[in-house]
Amino acid sequence: MDAKLKKELIQTFSERLSQAAKMYLENCSRCGLCIEACHAYASSPETRYTAVARAQNIRRIYEEYFKKGKIAKKLNEAVEFSDHWMEKVYETAYTCTGCRRCMTYCPFGIDTGVIQGIAKMLLITADMEPKTLEMLADMSIAKGKTIEKTKENFATAAKNLEKEVLERWRSEGGEEVVPLDVQDANVLYVALAGKHSIIPAAAIMNAAGEKWSLSYFEAVNFGAFVGNPAKTKEIAGRIIDEAKRLNIKEVVICECGTAYRVMKHMTGEKPFGVITLVELIARYLEQGRIKLDKSKLPGKVTYHDPCQIARQGGIYEEPRYVLNHLTDHFVEMTPNRQANWCCGGGGGLVAMGEKDFRMKSAKVKAEQVKATGAEVLCTACENCHTQLSDLNEHYGLGVKVEYLSDLTAKALVQD
Amino acid sequence: MSDITPAKILDLKGLPCPMPVVKMSQEIGSVNVGEVIEVHTTDPGSLSDFPAWAETSGNEVVDTEQGGEFIKIFVKRNN
Repeated sequence: MDAKLKKELIQTFSERLSQAAKMYLENCSRCGLCIEACHAYASSPETRYTAVARAQNIRRIYEEYFKKGKIAKKLNEAVEFSDHWMEKVYETAYTCTGCRRCMTYCPFGIDTGVIQGIAKMLLITADMEPKTLEMLADMSIAKGKTIEKTKENFATAAKNLEKEVLERWRSEGGEEVVPLDVQDANVLYVALAGKHSIIPAAAIMNAAGEKWSLSYFEAVNFGAFVGNPAKTKEIAGRIIDEAKRLNIKEVVICECGTAYRVMKHMTGEKPFGVITLVELIARYLEQGRIKLDKSKLPGKVTYHDPCQIARQGGIYEEPRYVLNHLTDHFVEMTPNRQANWCCGGGGGLVAMGEKDFRMKSAKVKAEQVKATGAEVLCTACENCHTQLSDLNEHYGLGVKVEYLSDLTAKALVQD
Repeated sequence: MSDITPAKILDLKGLPCPMPVVKMSQEIGSVNVGEVIEVHTTDPGSLSDFPAWAETSGNEVVDTEQGGEFIKIFVKRNN
């Protein structure tokens, strides 16, 4: 590694050293309580898959460049930046899904996400970040600049979804089935690219008689996956600007955990609220604006708490409230809520491919699902849905993997 | 109906996020510079995603078609 890059890496590390980051790097007592909290270690017990080992890869650099004392450096196994050590940094960043289950077991509450954030920025500085994630982030930024040229095409595509929305719910007379550019709407619904993330939500909001508008942008934020704060901000900024332009009361994020985390917790104060689609559905049920037919969902149903919505966002009860309106045969996974096992697909791993690692590191999740005896496994995050579908196939779980919104839309009572 | 003759047809219907763009970026190198890939997708978002991806990768969306059972996007490899 040349001296110039070494200098740049030290500078990057220095810029990420907030007081919180220093505390997380210095306070680990090596108690080991985080070790078995990681789904990757629980599935494949290799030391490198523990939270403490991943953090240690970063701590040892910290010891070298930001701590004093020759003896302390030796005792704490300080290391200099090198090509070899950057491979360790990569392991810290991308064998971790950022689920933060380890943090809930740590007596000091060490936030692995902050340490992982340092690792990801170091990789960007060394031009070692996953190029797929970088490409997707750059595409989202470009979309913010080219959107005017493609709006008409997107509007036609939205119009073409009408038939499939109406199959789930007839629209109120005279109203747009999939509305765009609705000024002063109560809800700006931010979906993903696929129609499966638009159709159920449209049917549910139309059934509730909501004044809503579909966003031109996709909810997911690949700037966050690749760990680039500037790109994260720019990608989220497209949606914030759209919501401001339309004078929206509330931005509703589709079933995408990272999209929710970024918009809710990483974009500062905004002149509108931010909620997930599952919270909106629970609200409609509570207010009696929609009713669901339990006969549409026979058999045992279980729910996977997406890490970014549940452990990060604290949304535990709303999905269960919705499920109790959908079925009398709901069974919990064990453990669940804050202690739920991560599905193993987060942190950008699904987009990157990484199927061998994703399957190996989520064996514990597959076993957890199997133990429920459920026929239907539902969740409220597209990333989790993809990973759980892959696990279903790989481990022969024999479940049907569903989105909570789709189950809801299919059970809408028509009168 | 487009009169473009594609070198390859890529079926990306029903794929989860963000696979249509990921697959496209992986496949573009499989045709020669100047040739076109015809993409079949069910994602409304692809109509904005693909032109944005083409902008960043130096390629070009030369046509789109809607109205059938799925969306067609014609992408020309430029480099």
